[in-house]
Parts: sequence; C-alpha cells; structure tokens
Amino acid sequence: MSQTDIRSELDAPVEPLLPIEKKLIGWSLGIGIVLLVVLIGFNHFVPIKI
Amino acid sequence: MSDITVKVAEPIALKARLNEDWLALVIGLLVFALALFSLGGVDLLGWAVNTSVYIDVSSALAPIAKAYAWLGGGGALLATYAALLVALSIGVSTLGADVKKFAVAFTAVFAIAYASWIVGSYAHIAAVTPAEQQKFGIGWSLKLTNEGGYIVALLSGLIIANFLPGFANWLKEAIRPELYIKIAIVILGATVAVTAAGRLTLASSLLLRGAAAIVEAYLIYWAVIYYVARKWFGFSREWSVPLASGISICGVAAAIATGGAIRARPAVPVLVSSLVVVFAVVEVLILPFLAQTFLWHEPLVAGAWIGLAIKTDGAAVAGGGITESLIMAKAAAEGIKYQPGWILATTTTVKIFIDIFIGVWAFILGYIWTNYIDKGPDKAKPIDIWQRFPKFILGFVLVFAVSLWLALGTTPEVAKALPAAASEANVFRVIFFILTFFSIGVLSDFRKLWQQGFGKLAAVYFVSLFGFVIWVGLLISWLFFSGFKPPLAS
Repeated sequence: MSQTDIRSELDAPVEPLLPIEKKLIGWSLGIGIVLLVVLIGFNHFVPIKI
Repeated sequence: MSDITVKVAEPIALKARLNEDWLALVIGLLVFALALFSLGGVDLLGWAVNTSVYIDVSSALAPIAKAYAWLGGGGALLATYAALLVALSIGVSTLGADVKKFAVAFTAVFAIAYASWIVGSYAHIAAVTPAEQQKFGIGWSLKLTNEGGYIVALLSGLIIANFLPGFANWLKEAIRPELYIKIAIVILGATVAVTAAGRLTLASSLLLRGAAAIVEAYLIYWAVIYYVARKWFGFSREWSVPLASGISICGVAAAIATGGAIRARPAVPVLVSSLVVVFAVVEVLILPFLAQTFLWHEPLVAGAWIGLAIKTDGAAVAGGGITESLIMAKAAAEGIKYQPGWILATTTTVKIFIDIFIGVWAFILGYIWTNYIDKGPDKAKPIDIWQRFPKFILGFVLVFAVSLWLALGTTPEVAKALPAAASEANVFRVIFFILTFFSIGVLSDFRKLWQQGFGKLAAVYFVSLFGFVIWVGLLISWLFFSGFKPPLAS
C-alpha cells in the first residue's frame, strides 16, 4: 500500500454508522459504565487491605 | 510489535506472532528454571553481569554472584552477551529468521543498548539521595536512578531511527521489542511473586482491582475511540477497528488481532501499529516524569495509570519500571523508603489483565463483522480466542504460581533462598527491558508522522490519547488505588 493509496483511502467518502455499529458502541459503553459503578461500589465496601 | 514498523509493506504473519509468544515463554521459563537451581546450592546464573552506580567506570560492572567474582566485570558482560546470543539465535531460528544476520545485528544491539545502560548508571545521572552523592563525592546529579539507563537506551534508538535510517535497517533482524518484553514479563513473574508473598492481602486486593482496567480498556475506551474515528474523522470501519484497538487496548497486539478478526487487509493494522509505537515512545518520555511530579505521594495510582495510559506491553511495563524508580527516588529524598516492586507490579497487573482479553474481544468483533457487516463464508470461530491469546502470559502465570508456592508452601529454607534466586533471574529481566527500550527507539521513525496520510491517523490518536485516554485512566486509577501505599522497606 503506497502513501498515495493511504491518503486517498483516508480521504474516501464517509461510510455511515450502521445500526449494528451503533449497537456495539451503545452496549459497550452501557455495560462498561454499569460494571465500573459495580466495581467502584466493591472498591468502597471492600477496601484494599495492607 | 517486533519488526512490524520496519517491514511496513509486508503482510502480517499472525502465525509468527504466536510463535514469538511461545518463544518468549520458553526462554523466560528457561531463565527462571536456571535461577531455581540456586535454591539447591547450585548457582547457574551467578555469572550474569550487574551494573552499579559508579563514578569510576572500571567499578561499574560485576557478576551478580560473589562466587563468580573471578570473572570480573568485563568477563561477566561477555558471558552474558554470549549466553543471550546463543539462546536468542536458537530461538529466532525457530521463527524462520536469518540466524547469521540476527547474530551480527544482535551484537550491535546488545553493545549499544548495554552501553546506554552503563551511561545511565553514571553517578551524575543516577545518584538519588544526598548520602549517595556524598558517597560518590559529587555535588549534583539528575537523580534518575540507574534505571535512567532505559531513557538513554531509548534516546540512542531514536537517534539511530531518525538520523541513521540505513543503520536502523541493518539492525532490524535483532530489533524485536515484543519478543524481549514478553521474555521480561515471564521472568518478572518471580519478582512479583516474591514481592506479593510478603504482603499477600495487599497483592490480592490489587489483583481484584485489575478488573477495572479490563472494563475501562475494552468497553469504555474502545467504544469512544471507535466512535471518534468513525464519526468525527470519517475513517472507514477497516481503519477504525485497528485504530480503536491500538489506542485503547494494547497497541500493536490488539491492532493486529482485531484487524485480522474483521478481515482487514494486513497492511492496515501494521500501519496503525507503527503509529502506536511512535506515540508510546512520546508517552514513555513524558508520563513517568509527570507521575513523579504529581503522583509521587500516590505510588499505586501512578503504577496503574501508566499501565492504562501507555499502549504496547513493552512501553507500558518498561514505563512502569521507570516510574517506580523515579517515585521511589522522590520518596526517598523525602525520607520515605518504599519496598521496591509494588509500583511495577501494579503496572504489570493492569497490563496483563488487559492483554488476557484481546482474543475474546477479537472474537466478538470478528463475530459481528462476519455475521452482520461483511457477510461471507469465512466466519469467526471460538477457536480464534485461543489462537489470539497471548501465550507468554501463561509463562508469567506459571512463574508467578511456582514462585508463590516456593515462598509460602515449602520449607523456610527454600523461602529464604527464593529472593536471591529471583534476583538472579531479575538481572535478565532488566537486560531484556534495556533491549526493549532500545528496540522501541529504533522502530520510532518520527518522519512517518509527517508522511502524507499519516497526519489524520495521528490526529485521532492525539485527540483520543491526550483528550480522553490519559485523563480517564488517571480518574479510574485514582478511584481504585488512591490512599493505598506500598509497604515501607524494613
């Protein structure tokens, strides 16, 4: 892949986000935030033991 | 990472990457096994070279064990070089490398990298406390500790990459940072276990908090960066997936694994990987010093932050090593002496937890892409998870488990002798770190950023890394690790 190819590829017309991509992003963020909250709760109630 | 950025236009050899994982596992286990002989009174690695902080260079080098003092510093250095040359040459021959070319290139790589390490141990660079400065009869020093040698090795590599490209190309057969850091991580299992055995409850608490890193890297970082790449910068799916994986998960390995999973053309994740390496270098040169300045009173937060913020195993774990040295030096200057190993162990734990799930994430993406986006006969299969699993982690876990058992489950005599055995193995861990730093430098040709087409990729990386990844990583590290300090040295 030459530099010209890369440039033309990166400047190619935008592919719109498909519903499945939106689902992937949404579910990832949703599950991630919920799990983080759970872990923060865990961290609060079970603190690091020295 | 290995020679990816040098051979940018060549197809990715996933098979070779897996073999490199196994090779790292075998060499790491070999070093560990040889070190364990010392538990029975047979010292098989005592000849390995160790470098102390010096003002007179003739006193810098010595064998690690007094029993081998007759070798002298030069003899120990030659013995170490010869042993590594033989072991690695045999190893890379199994990867299909040109052994003769490797041997010649490795000789130069080892010479420059170790010379950098020796330079970094010069008292004016490495001495930390006033007592040390007094001992060496000097009035000032950069206080970088002897691990400032990593920075010197990295800078040496950068100079070669950017000013002597012909020489960098000549060295490429031995520029294998992924292999070197993976061997180092396997060996590191012994040191981490010895450290953990002293404070098992603290170690298990840290381990549990490593789970937060997985959630952050895969579910938060990846989704946001993929969205930024697709929506704000208009990248295609083929470019956005490896880019998001490279920035959010684990640099090169993740870019290649997920790029392969969505059936991207091989050159795409390889080009992304070269960008990851360049940014990792910038981070290694900046973040440990920021951590020392702003987080020295929260060492474990600093360790976790480095593991979350710096991409690629090599740069992250090595950056954790530098951060540990810098923070311990700063704390020592304030009269606080922490037990060594905890900051690096935190960085390594975070990084390894993230690595473990690369295969799973690649499978999930592969499943979605091959079933919903680019439908075709070549579907993602569960076996892909195992095929993409970073095998060297098995070596780390094995070394850690055996060392922990030796420390806690055997006789007091064995437990007492274990730290010395782990220190002998650790000498090789340090050497592989040095080789990693130098190799990363040699792979970091900054001109790539200025090449046509790379600016847009670099912009996504810059926006994501400095606008999001670093700060969210800091927040999460703070939430989970603040207020807890490593044990004090007795």
